[in-house]
Amino acid sequence: MEMLVEALMSILTFKGLITILVGVTAGLFIGALPGLTATMALAVLLPFTFTMDALQGLMALGAVYMGAIYGGAFTAILINTPGTPSSIATCFDGYPMARQGRAYEALAAATIASVVGGIVGVSFLLLLAPPLARLAVVFGPAEMFWVAMLGLTLVASLSSGSLLKGLMGGCIGILLSTIGVSPIGGETRFIYGIPALQGGITLIVALIGLFVVPEVLSMAAQGRGALPESGKLEGGVGGAIRKMGRHIFLKPVNLIRSCIIGQIIAIIPGAGGNVTSLVAYNEAKRFSGKPESFGKGNVDGVVASESSNNVMVAGSMVPLLTLGIPGAPPDAIILGVLLMHGLRPGLDLFTETGVLTNGFILSMGFAALFLLPVGLLGGRLIHRVVVKTPYYFLLPSITMVTILGTYALRNSFLDVGLMLLLGTLGYFLRLIGLYAAPIVLGMILGIIAEKGYVQTMLISIADPIPWLGLVENPLSKVLVVLVVLSAATSLLPAWLERSGRMAKANPDKTGSDKGSREEESKP
Amino acid sequence: MKIAATQWVGSLSLLVALGMPGVAFAEYPEQPITYTIPFDPGGESDITARFQEPHLEEILGVNVNVTHRPGGGGAVGWSEFQNSAEPTGYELIGVNIPHIIAQPIMRTNAGYETDNWKIVMFYHFTPNALIVPQDSPFKTLDDLVAYAKENPEAVTLGGSGTYSANHLGVLRLEREAGIDVTYIPFTGTGPLPAAVQGGHVSGIFNYSMLGVQMEDTARVLAVASEERVPAMPDVPTFKELGYDLVGGAYRGVAVPKGTPEEVVTKLEKAFTEANKRITEKQEPLGFVMTYITDEEVDKVIQQLKTAYQPILEDAEAQ
Amino acid sequence: MIVRLNTDLAAGILGLAFAAILWLPREELGRLSIIFPRAMIIITVLLALTLVIKAFVKPAERQVEIEGSPLRLIIAIAVLFAWWYAIGILGFLLATAIAFFGFTWFLARIETPVSARRLAMWVPIMALLIGVFYLAFTEILSVRLPTGSLWS
Repeated sequence: MEMLVEALMSILTFKGLITILVGVTAGLFIGALPGLTATMALAVLLPFTFTMDALQGLMALGAVYMGAIYGGAFTAILINTPGTPSSIATCFDGYPMARQGRAYEALAAATIASVVGGIVGVSFLLLLAPPLARLAVVFGPAEMFWVAMLGLTLVASLSSGSLLKGLMGGCIGILLSTIGVSPIGGETRFIYGIPALQGGITLIVALIGLFVVPEVLSMAAQGRGALPESGKLEGGVGGAIRKMGRHIFLKPVNLIRSCIIGQIIAIIPGAGGNVTSLVAYNEAKRFSGKPESFGKGNVDGVVASESSNNVMVAGSMVPLLTLGIPGAPPDAIILGVLLMHGLRPGLDLFTETGVLTNGFILSMGFAALFLLPVGLLGGRLIHRVVVKTPYYFLLPSITMVTILGTYALRNSFLDVGLMLLLGTLGYFLRLIGLYAAPIVLGMILGIIAEKGYVQTMLISIADPIPWLGLVENPLSKVLVVLVVLSAATSLLPAWLERSGRMAKANPDKTGSDKGSREEESKP
Repeated sequence: MKIAATQWVGSLSLLVALGMPGVAFAEYPEQPITYTIPFDPGGESDITARFQEPHLEEILGVNVNVTHRPGGGGAVGWSEFQNSAEPTGYELIGVNIPHIIAQPIMRTNAGYETDNWKIVMFYHFTPNALIVPQDSPFKTLDDLVAYAKENPEAVTLGGSGTYSANHLGVLRLEREAGIDVTYIPFTGTGPLPAAVQGGHVSGIFNYSMLGVQMEDTARVLAVASEERVPAMPDVPTFKELGYDLVGGAYRGVAVPKGTPEEVVTKLEKAFTEANKRITEKQEPLGFVMTYITDEEVDKVIQQLKTAYQPILEDAEAQ
Repeated sequence: MIVRLNTDLAAGILGLAFAAILWLPREELGRLSIIFPRAMIIITVLLALTLVIKAFVKPAERQVEIEGSPLRLIIAIAVLFAWWYAIGILGFLLATAIAFFGFTWFLARIETPVSARRLAMWVPIMALLIGVFYLAFTEILSVRLPTGSLWS
């Protein structure tokens, strides 16, 4: 307790607060640029912390992390481009909202959800780190395989329209993820003698390509901007914020559920913010009274995605600080920083150097709080820019930023070409009902599934039937049941609906785009 | 000379485009340096690069950007580097032995060659260590060997990558002890603590560093160095226990072939100095610092090539 | 523009083609490398076949709508790839300056003809935009952008 107070005092200084404010703002802008992920934000800003003392450096990085994960929501909502992979699910409802002229409401909801999520994550880390950390090690290769399978049941809710096509999209995504060097066998595969393809197609390249390029192309073809120019706010900015605040807090079930999901997934090593937000989105849809309104501008989708991914920021530090296991990719960089300052993860971190550790944790809480003013102001600014900029300036600007972001990811010129190629294909795939979301989901989970599967096969090589190793542990069995349940609950209604709809000669014109375009065509 | 011309024209075009006056000539280094680590962040290579980064920046006077290019046990980054990096001294890559020896032998298309670059320096060595969970039935190395003799393939040892130092260490242990275990590759060192603490594998064959890091949560049965590692004075070496097993990973840094001699010298000096400055921090973590440069590099590679060849050929035949 | 197309059939054939591209020219791969992709390719083929069958039994969409002008769509695609290609040759700054200006002009003249005066007014705005992003990436984020093969 004394340590907490002492830690608090060291943050509540001018220097401390400014560090957090600058960190949050920098993280926010980097996170908002497509292609620049939270990991990258941390990596590029790391050198700036070398001149600082340990606590200030960690405070800055924690704030950058928090800001970057949140910043991804801006572009997700305004131009249908997840700024970081953690905001994929934010696009699904955020962008339709924006096209209905409710962009600022979506931004306000995302901000409130992120603030709450960030603080919840910090509370979990502060209060429950040691017991929660035990969760981190129970997920072995077999369990990870089932986690991936559980994630794949999301296809059902992500495939607007045809489930078969959704599954096909998922498979295409998984296969795309296998291009390059095999994670376990170590051999090159599907590279057709092109050496540069050994690097594979990374998630971000596909993500930017499949989300941004089709949008740019269709805007160019239609000769119109992304958002209705009459972006008038009913009741002004304050009105939007109050309205969203009421909506979120009066029915907090969605928020609470998303935070808990965020925390659990954050602890599982190898599953990052992208999985977190997708799962939270899926569950929000599953338990919603109106699942059909998701994908057409339901604010609960934005809330689920953004609250869960910001829980992940502090939440994924649980296994990191207690056991030295990074819960999400950006945490590996934090681990490096800890080691650089001579801090070894473990319980000592909470006792011997408790002031420092608690200071770091608390600073993330402050960073979350700072998201509110910075986010609402920044959001207003970016919203204005996007709405006011004529589309003939906006489109080339989006394209330029996309090219820059993709290139910066790993200094690869080929990646830019791959991004454009996938994006152009993505435009036509969308026309025949193969949407980006299931493909991207397949890419995220394919890698996790393959590692888990092949490692399990190797581990149980001495057993008479190796694949039984997949269901040997109690947790695996539980996960299998969950997979079956999840598949059943998401497939059954879809199937029932479809067979019912079949009678009406199926006039439905698949999916979310239809919904939002209808809205938009009204003057 | 060719290099200077390229840079000159490059800078000129930049200046023209920016419309700013300036001087194009300058001594190396004048731009930020990209230092690629072909492994996941959080592993030994990454942590070392992070240690070096501020010192290198101070010594060289330019930004040093550590970027990651993980995959295929390093091969992705290395093949890309050998294929596309420019010999200007602004692109560096971390290289590891035995990876760069084993992969080109074992793969039909590793995409790179062991010698197709100029290795500036090997700056440290991390011996392999055999780590088991705290509640493991194997109290000593003999326990594990005895069990493995009776139950072929049943003992599973995790490690970082395929045909890596860990993998080769396991293969050599199998030969030395006459046992048959199953090696499980993971991508990098990052996932290994969870694998051993969660009991997903019988043990892990990783570097001394992880042994030190996991002191409280796991048991280190033996370490594959000539002498005991200072950071783990209670852990016996394989040699003490009667197995002639010394091995691990050398880590170093390389530039593309054809990089000007004076640039290489400058980098060598910078890395030597940085290595000295970080010794104090790295030794307690389980690293053994080295200063292998120039001809010594070739000697070390040649030596290890002959040591690993029979094991690798054996593995390939299976 | 509305194109008549059985989307189930199209998706099915696409799946089969993708599986074939990966499967047919595959190199000799070890068990650990091929076991997972092989399983996924088989699943993809099964799904694709189901879609093809469904296309004939109870097809879903039979028409596809390209909203807006197909010509502009094709030109926009061409602009994107030309932009990319030009960066490799001319370097990021020059290529982007040209492509940005051209793309903006092309998009703006959909509504009204663009006068020379308006074009001239854009130049400083664009220079500022490109400059700010260029400097942010090269100076703050330390990204080394391509300088173009033409100059070296």
